[in-house]
Amino acid sequence: MNRSRLMKSAQEPIRAILGDRLALVGLAVLLSIIAMALFAPLLSTHAPLAVNEREEGSLFTRSVDGEQVRWLASPPLGNATLNAADYRDGLGMAVGRDGVVWRYAEGDWSRLDTPLSTTLHAVNIREDGATLVAGARGTVALWTPDGSWQTYDMPEPLNVNGIAWRDAGTALLVGGGETIWRLDMASGEVTSLESPVGRGFDLNAVALDVDGSAWLVGDRGLALHLASDADTPSLERLPGNRELNHIHIADSGAGLIVGERGTLLVRDDAEASWQSQDAPDSRAMRAGWITDDGHAFAVGRSGIVFEREPGGDWQLMPSDEERHLRTLMVTEEHYFALGSDRFVNRLAPPSGEHWFGTDHLGRDLFSQNVHGSQIALLVGFLGAALVVLIGANVGLVAGYFRGRTETVLMRTVDVMYGIPFEPFALILVLLFEPSLFIVILAVSLLTWRTVARLIRSQVLSLRERPFVKAARVAGASDLRIMYLHIFPNVMPLVFLELAIIVGVSIIAEATLSFLGLGPPQSISWGGILHNARLSGAWREAWWWNLPPGLLIMITVLSVFFISRSLELVANPRLRARR
Amino acid sequence: MSSRRSYLIRRVLHGFMALFIIATLLFFLFRLGLPDPTAALITEGLTPEERERIRASFGLDRPIWEQYFIYLANIVQGDFGYSFHYRAPVADIIWERLGNTMILMLPAIVLAYGVGAPLGAWLSWRRGSRADTSGIFVGLMFRSAPMFWTGMIAILIFGIGLGWLPTSGMRTLPYEASGFFDKIFTLDFLHHLILPALVVALYYLGSPLLIMRNTMLEVYGEDFIEMARAKGLPERRILYAHAARNALLPVVTQLAVTIGLAAGGQVVVEVVFSWPGLGREILNSVRTSDFPLAQASFLVMAAFVITLNLLVDILYTMLDPRVSFK
Amino acid sequence: MKIFVESRFKRTLLASAMGLAAASLGAQALAQEAVPSIDLMTTTESYDPIRYEAAFMIAERWEELGFEVNVQPTEFSTALERFYDQQDFDATILGWSGRTDRLDPQFFLSTLDSRQANPGGNNPGGYDNPDFDALFDQQSQAFDPDERQRLVMEMQELYKPDAPLVVLFHRDEVVAYNHEAFGGFEPMAGEGLYSEWGPMEATPVGDRSTLRIGGPQEPDNLNPLASTSVWGWKWMRLYYDRLVRLSADVEPLPWAAEEVDQVDDTTVAVTLREGMTFHDGEPLTADDVAFTWNYYLDQDYSYFNSYLAALDNAEAVDEYTVHFHLSEPSASFASISLSQIPILPGHIWSEIDDASTLSPDEVPTVGSGPFQYERFDRGEFMAISKFDDHFHADEIAVDGVEFIIYADMEGVYTGLQTGEIDVTAWRMEPGQISLAESEDHLTVVNVPDFGYFHMTYNLRRAPFDDRAVRRALTMASDRERMVNVLLDGRGEVGSSVIAPVNTFWHEAFIERFDFDMDAARAELEEAGYSWDEDGRLMR
Repeated sequence: MNRSRLMKSAQEPIRAILGDRLALVGLAVLLSIIAMALFAPLLSTHAPLAVNEREEGSLFTRSVDGEQVRWLASPPLGNATLNAADYRDGLGMAVGRDGVVWRYAEGDWSRLDTPLSTTLHAVNIREDGATLVAGARGTVALWTPDGSWQTYDMPEPLNVNGIAWRDAGTALLVGGGETIWRLDMASGEVTSLESPVGRGFDLNAVALDVDGSAWLVGDRGLALHLASDADTPSLERLPGNRELNHIHIADSGAGLIVGERGTLLVRDDAEASWQSQDAPDSRAMRAGWITDDGHAFAVGRSGIVFEREPGGDWQLMPSDEERHLRTLMVTEEHYFALGSDRFVNRLAPPSGEHWFGTDHLGRDLFSQNVHGSQIALLVGFLGAALVVLIGANVGLVAGYFRGRTETVLMRTVDVMYGIPFEPFALILVLLFEPSLFIVILAVSLLTWRTVARLIRSQVLSLRERPFVKAARVAGASDLRIMYLHIFPNVMPLVFLELAIIVGVSIIAEATLSFLGLGPPQSISWGGILHNARLSGAWREAWWWNLPPGLLIMITVLSVFFISRSLELVANPRLRARR
Repeated sequence: MSSRRSYLIRRVLHGFMALFIIATLLFFLFRLGLPDPTAALITEGLTPEERERIRASFGLDRPIWEQYFIYLANIVQGDFGYSFHYRAPVADIIWERLGNTMILMLPAIVLAYGVGAPLGAWLSWRRGSRADTSGIFVGLMFRSAPMFWTGMIAILIFGIGLGWLPTSGMRTLPYEASGFFDKIFTLDFLHHLILPALVVALYYLGSPLLIMRNTMLEVYGEDFIEMARAKGLPERRILYAHAARNALLPVVTQLAVTIGLAAGGQVVVEVVFSWPGLGREILNSVRTSDFPLAQASFLVMAAFVITLNLLVDILYTMLDPRVSFK
Repeated sequence: MKIFVESRFKRTLLASAMGLAAASLGAQALAQEAVPSIDLMTTTESYDPIRYEAAFMIAERWEELGFEVNVQPTEFSTALERFYDQQDFDATILGWSGRTDRLDPQFFLSTLDSRQANPGGNNPGGYDNPDFDALFDQQSQAFDPDERQRLVMEMQELYKPDAPLVVLFHRDEVVAYNHEAFGGFEPMAGEGLYSEWGPMEATPVGDRSTLRIGGPQEPDNLNPLASTSVWGWKWMRLYYDRLVRLSADVEPLPWAAEEVDQVDDTTVAVTLREGMTFHDGEPLTADDVAFTWNYYLDQDYSYFNSYLAALDNAEAVDEYTVHFHLSEPSASFASISLSQIPILPGHIWSEIDDASTLSPDEVPTVGSGPFQYERFDRGEFMAISKFDDHFHADEIAVDGVEFIIYADMEGVYTGLQTGEIDVTAWRMEPGQISLAESEDHLTVVNVPDFGYFHMTYNLRRAPFDDRAVRRALTMASDRERMVNVLLDGRGEVGSSVIAPVNTFWHEAFIERFDFDMDAARAELEEAGYSWDEDGRLMR
């Protein structure tokens, strides 16, 4: 008989939910959120915490509109990074990852077929249009305008980073480990020149000076000078010790060296010494160009472009997108900047690739939101179950036994009421370590008090009812009376509280995560909003703010809808008047 | 009558007992669980000996029991001690912050209840109508959205987007006023109050609305309503003069509990709106192991909640004869 | 998680099997044990998202190398306590801020001195190299800068191959100001725009001539004998004078002192500028200066102890001359100490016996600085106004300075964007930088920092007691990626505890430990480590 009553009390809420339209909607929404949580790995389009990076052959073109200079992004040249470019008399060449070579002629870019597959770092065009390219693992090859390729064998598979034609028959190659090679084109013979430093620092670039000598620059501000007829370079002292990435010398003798941390070294003519100049940004500069009259350009990470009028200060120019620029190519009509090695796809608005956009570290927000449902529901249901378990039992025991037991239990409830939620959770986090367990503990420790109070007051009136008295007369034990006679009667109230507390717990979890007290590296809706605010980007990136809040809202709302129909079971008088 | 009085006395005593337990609990929890308050000074380059001297000046070099009894004795005398961090009397800091919190929370709660309760009554009257459903929907919707999110969205729309309202702090520069009341009786302050108070009020709105509506529905079933109806009184009059009056008790109860919890402030609202309230201060004091300040803030909040709960109980004993004094 | 348990189970099986094999085959196959797992302690995400994410980046690579890594984001003060006081950590990511006086190499080098390895000391990793300690003593007594430079560089060369810690990166301080309201700022390394010169250099461009600075931190208190936070001193130094002020290039400039002379090894004579007065109109004399220094010695204010360590007493010789008697020769006294201690009015402070217990209302705020104290509303606002009788008053273009205290950087940025404040006192978050760059009225300034974020190994514990492991782990830390991804390129991979921006003392040609997984593996292999079939590192 008791069992059937228990069954009945469980059936009733279900019937109530099914009979209420709003509750049905709530149930449907809640079930879909549960499904989302269960199948989160399947539903996610990306790993939720993976930094999404992209790579492409970026091409920026300088445009002048009245006074305003802008560097505009043109459609990219394929998907491979472009590392170096050169231009001479109507022919432009750009080289990049996996042996990619692009040719620029008469305003058009076309991709050349190459026998190369390693990443290329350097390119240099001879007067007759013959082009030498070089790159990783000692790759060196010569392209002639008739379309043929000739490869050269190097003594060691070292990275070649820079090339300069010394004369029509010889080229200088510089690279990793302070390597300096002189390549005789006719014989293919390679002579290794000895660096005066000999500490294995990388050389990054080489350029020919107007007097036929060569400048070599590299790691830690290393600069070498090779006189036109000499085979031993001498060490040059330049200002600064940052890695130097590129050198360019104009026909007039004006020169520009760029490097890490906004390093800009300029000389006005062949006789002048190299002077360090202030950069408007301190990020890495990758390539520079200076014209005969001293008009200078430098490009670098994150789409940075600097320009300097002759004798003026360097100015940061507006550029289109945050690609990494690696090289400059200057033709008679155009200034091109090319790049872009892997760049983080930060704060991208929603697109086909990232449905809810990306965050400040280029992480996919759709996948984060999908995964966020797991923690919300876990804390919601587990927390609520714990709360109701503690609260219902405390209420039952206190209400049934009364006397001292009740006093102790209800005073404990009083104490719990006096403890504020967020600071208490912070103390728990400080005492232990932030974890899911702490969140659930904090939520449940401070919520069971309400349930205990409610259940107790209900039990207080129930225990005086005839059926309880009858059971007592029949000799039933206290436990039996409490759990088999009284409990089924408070079941509706328990269900109601359970539903409400699921909602409360979800909001509580979101609040803790928003304050940064949630478990580390876990993904929760509150945590996504926490990151959004912390990063400072939330005011622009609406795609970052809106979804998690809406998800919290509809989840909790659906639970509340369900709870409303349960309320009718718990409190039949409401139904009478509906 | 005497049983009622002894009941009240007992409740008050229980309240003090709860406070004492909380105070003790916090004292040991902080001392044993939180990091050394001078730990942060390491980054300023202080040596262990120098830090030990600072600890001694805080009284932390004494045995923990001695510290505990000094602490209790001071509390009894109403002395909350000196903040480690601010080097200022804890009481000054707390009263100021509590004032800031309440000046935000009270108007918000009053607004929520002032709108929510009549609206709930009205909805119960129109029960089952489209207005009823959408009223419930809206009330529950704001109850379901976390306040920090509503706050962020409100800032985005009204602060940054439209530029109508200030989004942080309690006032704009230059600050002329120095007293608390000088500070709050200005248009500028009201201007700053609008957004955060609205966000809090919207969150709280659902609660009086639903309680009022549901209790009204219950009350409609009572005999005296049927009687009034039989007498042919107009529905509107029955609604407000008879039913609503009887349905107010649970709403008032809920109001008192809400105000009690409001002392702790809504930390997230204070964070989102840069409001210099007690909630933020208490988080900071725990983070910096400022024991005196943290202990006192917790105690003040607890005292607030317990007092308001006590008031509710008293209210019940006065208004509802069914409550026994056992 | 499941995989984890499985592999551990396999390992035990394997280990017991190997144990058997070893027993049967004698000494031929020595059983190798798994290398202990590593707890990597870092800050919480809300305290510093950069260090938090950095820890996970490191952990990922170390796991690839065969270590078992457990990242522990820890509340800041708990982390400090565990790192410094309890030395209970395997590896910890924390940082040192670049305070101006730390441009002198003394402090950062001392973090590797074995005599600082006791609990609470500045060398919690426990690096112990007698040669390094010896050089440290030599350099701190070397008066000749070139000689000292040689020693300091040698020290960097010496410690670096041992890899006792990884200097992860130097993060640029990126701040911004409203150029439609104020101009004329010279950023200062380690200080940004809110340096002591900032308010003196600022020139109004718009209507308002009161400079408004906004920041998320506020002074703990404004008691010059109790404040223990930089934020207290950053503000107080504007209304107290010092004998010497450090220029933006950290050159000592005579300030209240007209002249500083080294009389002998242990006596420094300071001649005061004539005609200075305190804000209450009382004249500032040698007596006040001598009083202040002796008072600081007397009151035992821990915050200044390191500056006062060498001082025996100060003596007013005549109205404008003070002699500082040192207990031992000190290279840094004349430059660093003289630039840090404020000048207090003797006629006020001599009445106060125990200055540390003053309540905020009782703390005197009378100084002699270029600005005078107006008010401090805790949690909201501070104000000072220009002191017209100051000798530097003619150079100052602002009427006064107001500091608005916000809850966090979010509030500060909103203030900057809406024109409520003119300058940020603290670095902006990465997301705010790009926003600020797109605002027409804001100028973004990148200031390199010589403070650094470090990951320190606990050399007392396995596996960090092995130099090869430390070297390998250092090579397996992709710091370039941290700078590129987390800082968006606004920073520099660390090489030495003396930052590259500190050009005079920085040794550029030391081992860099560039990211190289293969080199890391080779290093371990060479030291006798191997990998089991799950890729877990064994020894």
